[in-house]
Amino acid sequence: MYTTEFDREEMAQWYAKEHLKTDPGIVAVHYLPTNAGEREIRFVEINQFIGERNDDALEPIDFGIDMGMETAHKLYVLDVTPEQWNRIRSQELDLPNNWSLEGAIHFENE
Amino acid sequence: MNSFQEVWWQQAKSDHEVFLLIRGQGVAQCHLLHYLQMVTEKLAKAYFWRSASPPPRSHAGFVQFLRFLGQFSRPNDQERIATIFTFKRFTDFQNWIRAVLPMAYELERLAPALANNGPNPEYPWPHAQPQFAPTNQHFAVWASFASGQGRDFMRKIRIAVERFPEYASL
Repeated sequence: MYTTEFDREEMAQWYAKEHLKTDPGIVAVHYLPTNAGEREIRFVEINQFIGERNDDALEPIDFGIDMGMETAHKLYVLDVTPEQWNRIRSQELDLPNNWSLEGAIHFENE
Repeated sequence: MNSFQEVWWQQAKSDHEVFLLIRGQGVAQCHLLHYLQMVTEKLAKAYFWRSASPPPRSHAGFVQFLRFLGQFSRPNDQERIATIFTFKRFTDFQNWIRAVLPMAYELERLAPALANNGPNPEYPWPHAQPQFAPTNQHFAVWASFASGQGRDFMRKIRIAVERFPEYASL
């Protein structure tokens, strides 16, 4: 998506739809705007194809995008299994520091 | 871990730190892939130095390294390596290796010496009549690494680097 101005909500929606469209493993994307910086998009992506694992600390992967341009921003993606997602929702598993489900926006394939 | 492994691991770890730094800065894909390829190559070399004899100079090795980790026969070693890589069972770890091997092959083939005079992250190509610069190239393998499975692979590469001393002698 090419834009000259950065609109976080619009960009998040576009990324979420693209990820759902192009990656068959992803069954849902949760956009977490609370506590995120103005130019930071935080996603929790529920992926049915990544294997079950021990509950080590959850680690988001960060990508810098359009750095040095007006649309510069960071995209953080935390991939979790459906089981881990259930554990996050029931507060048995912690999100990364300062991440919150409050005000989360949910996307899934139509 | 012997002293040969130690120096190769230190270099792999440093390359990986640079990779993490530049991934967050959104630099051209060629640089991200160049560093990721170097990290994995050096990690494999660090591991294969466990016999205290030099591994081949070739840029290949990462695929072999992954295969090797998936072939432990002693139950204790199997459990240990699976746990280090955060898997509950060794069979889950083996299944994961099978799933990511195609990406590992693609990463390995990026080394200019293995790229058959085609797209690589370091030098313009083709060698005799260069027409393409890596910095302008969109690499399909980077799209794979940006996918859910690829991000998971990057997390495992981080574990492989950071926890190397725990399995270096297995």
